[in-house]
Amino acid sequence: MLLLESAPHVPTIAEGILWAILASPIVAWALIVLYVRKLPKIAGWLTVAGVGTACALSFVTLFNVIDASGGIAIHTHEWFTAGNLTVHFGVRVDGLTAVMLVVVTSVSLLVQVYSHGYMAGDPGYGRYFAHMCLFTTSMLGLVLADNLFMMFMFWELVGLSSYLLIGFWFHKPSAAAAAKKAFIVTRVGDLGLLAGMLLIWSKTGTFQVDEIQKIASEGLVAHWVVTWFALGIFAGAAGKSAQFPLHVWLPDAMEGPTPVSALIHAATMVAAGVYLVARFFPVFEASGDARLVVAWIGGITALIAATIALVQTDFKRVLAYSTISQLGYMMLALGAFGYVAAIFHLFTHAFFKALLFLGSGSVNHATNTFDMRKMGGLRKQMPVTYWTFVIGSLSLAGIFPLAGFWSKDEILLAAWRESRGLWIIGFSVAFMTAAYMFRAIFLTFHGTYKGGEPVDHHDPDNHFHGDPAHPHESPWVMAGPLAVLAVPAIAAGWFNINGAFGDFILHALPETTEKGSEFAWGIAISSTLVALAGIFVAYAVYIREWVTSKTIREGFAPLAMVFERKYFLDNLYEDFFVRTVLQRGWNRLLELNDKYVVDGIVNGSASLAGSVSRRAGVVQNGQFQTYGLGFAAGVIVVVVAVFAAHPL
Amino acid sequence: MSIGIEHFLTVGALLFCLGLLVALSKRNAIGVLMGVEMMLNAVNLTLITFSRFSTSERPITGQVFVVFVITVAAAEAAVALALAVSVYRNRDTVDVDRINLLKS
Repeated sequence: MLLLESAPHVPTIAEGILWAILASPIVAWALIVLYVRKLPKIAGWLTVAGVGTACALSFVTLFNVIDASGGIAIHTHEWFTAGNLTVHFGVRVDGLTAVMLVVVTSVSLLVQVYSHGYMAGDPGYGRYFAHMCLFTTSMLGLVLADNLFMMFMFWELVGLSSYLLIGFWFHKPSAAAAAKKAFIVTRVGDLGLLAGMLLIWSKTGTFQVDEIQKIASEGLVAHWVVTWFALGIFAGAAGKSAQFPLHVWLPDAMEGPTPVSALIHAATMVAAGVYLVARFFPVFEASGDARLVVAWIGGITALIAATIALVQTDFKRVLAYSTISQLGYMMLALGAFGYVAAIFHLFTHAFFKALLFLGSGSVNHATNTFDMRKMGGLRKQMPVTYWTFVIGSLSLAGIFPLAGFWSKDEILLAAWRESRGLWIIGFSVAFMTAAYMFRAIFLTFHGTYKGGEPVDHHDPDNHFHGDPAHPHESPWVMAGPLAVLAVPAIAAGWFNINGAFGDFILHALPETTEKGSEFAWGIAISSTLVALAGIFVAYAVYIREWVTSKTIREGFAPLAMVFERKYFLDNLYEDFFVRTVLQRGWNRLLELNDKYVVDGIVNGSASLAGSVSRRAGVVQNGQFQTYGLGFAAGVIVVVVAVFAAHPL
Repeated sequence: MSIGIEHFLTVGALLFCLGLLVALSKRNAIGVLMGVEMMLNAVNLTLITFSRFSTSERPITGQVFVVFVITVAAAEAAVALALAVSVYRNRDTVDVDRINLLKS
């Protein structure tokens, strides 16, 4: 894939193949929902078949686009016209799409295989795979769409399927609440996206991505339109990609099954926001202000999430905050002109973060808990999980020559060029990333085993098979995907050593000021050193215990509390916005409005009708003579009126 | 002063108004019936008048119509009187103010 010498030209891939990528998981979904929901084994393999087909076709597409040197092919059809609104339904394939297709389908495929082991025995097995198919379809639709309207449809489908999957164990109140939270919080961002869509449509009359890119970069609409459209896009992206201040849903979304977390909240769905911003990158470029907003929000998100991850005790939540932090990195890169760096990091991150999440699921499978205080010493019992997890963590920490090193390096380089402040944020986040990941490893896999969580056999919702007191390695369907994912976690970074990956996806943009990034020794060495320092700190504290974590915690008590309470953002949202502003303020206002205005109108009109009819009823006395009098009087009035109008 | 169409029509109108007054104000059902008959005759008079003063080819139409009205009025009077008798037998009154069974 590394030779892109000729100029880009239109890929020759048949349109039918692109539609087949989209169709194969949805067909699997339909079959599962309609016929085999009660036959779990078939449902599982049907999903693997559907996603596997999509994966194979995605690779075909990728190689075809590589042959075309990253050219763009757009196949669009008119869907419907209403007034002056014309909506198209079509697919677009270019370097960015091809990379996203491969990432989504290959990670999804491995996660589906892994799910066979992880979800075994769950009563909702068939439903689980149906939702997974739906999710994969929506994600593929999102990356294939050639216009904003279609993107929005699939965007919302992604939201729906993530809601269904987070709330998969809906009988657990915490899972139901987490699903609701994820849905509502992302909806806040989607409002911005919708507003941006309406704005751009009213100003340009098109939803086509290429036309919008062209209009924005050539300055054919007012600058404020471009800026507000970009901010709207970013609002949607911030919701889906868990950017500050809309990141609060992602840690709670860990209530879903772990493979779901791996697929949705690590590898693909949260990448949707980054993808969207990358797709409209020329718009952000055209509007300098929106681009800076993206950069700084990304930086703030990365910093906040990394600090929170340092103090989490839940294994999966460490990974969740790590994900938020890495997504912040990608946004930071996009905002700092690092389009290639961001997509490259998205690409590598998808693999190693899926690996880490699946590893955490494997640990959970053995210990029945995610609480790191109840683990320890697992490296002997679970060698595959341990070593793959270490590989994933080293990759995430950015240690040479693993995947994360290359992509993180490019992000830091982009940040350095944009502003020193952003670079300092990125640099300190790199340190914290290494520290919290190795803190998690040392707590989980080193030291002595602390017994896990005993199985509560009285809990009907608990389907745990096995003995947490004697943890064991997971079955091959789970360990296999870990081993497979470890390969790209090591090697995915090598694609861009000579800038080939960058050139490839850069052709997806019409014209861009960014050139392929070169390697900078200073950035690379400093970021590696800082990551090693992070690992060393974790080693010093959790293995050697030269300084115990307790001492550090007491030394920085106020800071530690702020981190542990997640910067009080949940309190701010739930206690202040929801309980005070919404429930006591707005809802109270609505209640009063209902009680006095709405009810007042309804009751008032009823009593008005009653009193009028009581008075009017008096004339209906049952006496025909009274009626006759009225009749005669009416006739006289008519006659007089006629004569008055037409005098003789 | 020659007697012209106006005089006949005026008498007819007055007669009609008297009949209406009687029909609407009398309490006795028989009296109400008489008022109705009076209105019918006022209408008959008017029809005859127009027939008499008409310049149409076939002025007889008005008179024929009057014959019909008289016939129908006779039938109506017979039915109405029978009703009155029947009501009187059942309720010992022909006071229309008290014949209000249909009201609630």
